[in-house]
Amino acid sequence: MNPLDGLQEGIAELLEELGSLKLSGPDSFFISQYTVWMVIAAIVLVIVAFAAKKREALVPKGRFLNGVEYVVQWVRDDICRGVIGKGSEKHLPFLLTVFFFIVINNLLGLVPGAKPGTGTISVTFAVSLIVFIYFNFYGFKHQGIGGYIKNLAPKGIGPLYPLVWCIELISLFLRLITLAVRLFANMYAGHIVMGVFAMLANLFLQAALQGAGFAIALPSIGWELLIIAMYALELLVAVIQAYVFTLLSAVYISLATADSH
Amino acid sequence: MAVIGYGLAVIGAAISIGISCFGATTSMARQPEIQGRVFTTFILGAAFAEALALIGFVLALIA
Repeated sequence: MNPLDGLQEGIAELLEELGSLKLSGPDSFFISQYTVWMVIAAIVLVIVAFAAKKREALVPKGRFLNGVEYVVQWVRDDICRGVIGKGSEKHLPFLLTVFFFIVINNLLGLVPGAKPGTGTISVTFAVSLIVFIYFNFYGFKHQGIGGYIKNLAPKGIGPLYPLVWCIELISLFLRLITLAVRLFANMYAGHIVMGVFAMLANLFLQAALQGAGFAIALPSIGWELLIIAMYALELLVAVIQAYVFTLLSAVYISLATADSH
Repeated sequence: MAVIGYGLAVIGAAISIGISCFGATTSMARQPEIQGRVFTTFILGAAFAEALALIGFVLALIA
């Protein structure tokens, strides 16, 4: 008996489980398991933020407060000031919200059985739509409606201007899609890989338990070790993707509010 | 078929991430004090290149 026989069936089941399952509500607009986990992430975010605010002091004490302050300071110095530069203070609350929402969602996804909000395209697309509206709003506010539309393409390129303008307009809307797809695909791929590894470890062990001999269970140990390695990698990916999302939001804001190209 | 397409999509992204990593390490070795900004730019470049591979991944899932 080949232990890999059950793999195809298991993968189909896993993919079905990772899709949006209806929990309640009408068919076209329902609450899925991802919605529930997103709300849990939002509650965790609120608790962390208020707990840190409550303990705020001139000299921060304790691991929790120091940890939160370190992350806030890192976003402020590394992303906000480093990319936007002058006048970055008013964008800091927005970027911090985006960063903390995504990082808590991503880290919740590492809890076995959890389905974090960022594992579905709906949530990541919503976040990227908010970022898109935000930076366009500041672009219009900063340069005026005509100025922002005109400044999409650089000046001084002569007859090429309409062509470059059209390409820039397409790339403006592509930002909306790539931001959402990048975060979603990273988290989704990570979940699939970890799920398949767990399934393989399980299949070899099942074969041994059903009396195919002890030796057939040995690959399980290897798959188990690989899952641990993947967990370390996913921990890294969870933070890096939140960082990349926030960094790109900051870059788009700085491009929109720059005085001229 | 979709898997082969995904493999083809990944080649370009892999080469571009490799090149950007090469550039980042070279410039960091030459000028260690500029490390922070080079790292930020490297992550940005890698993110742009990676997006193409990930679009391929999503298309492979859809197709």
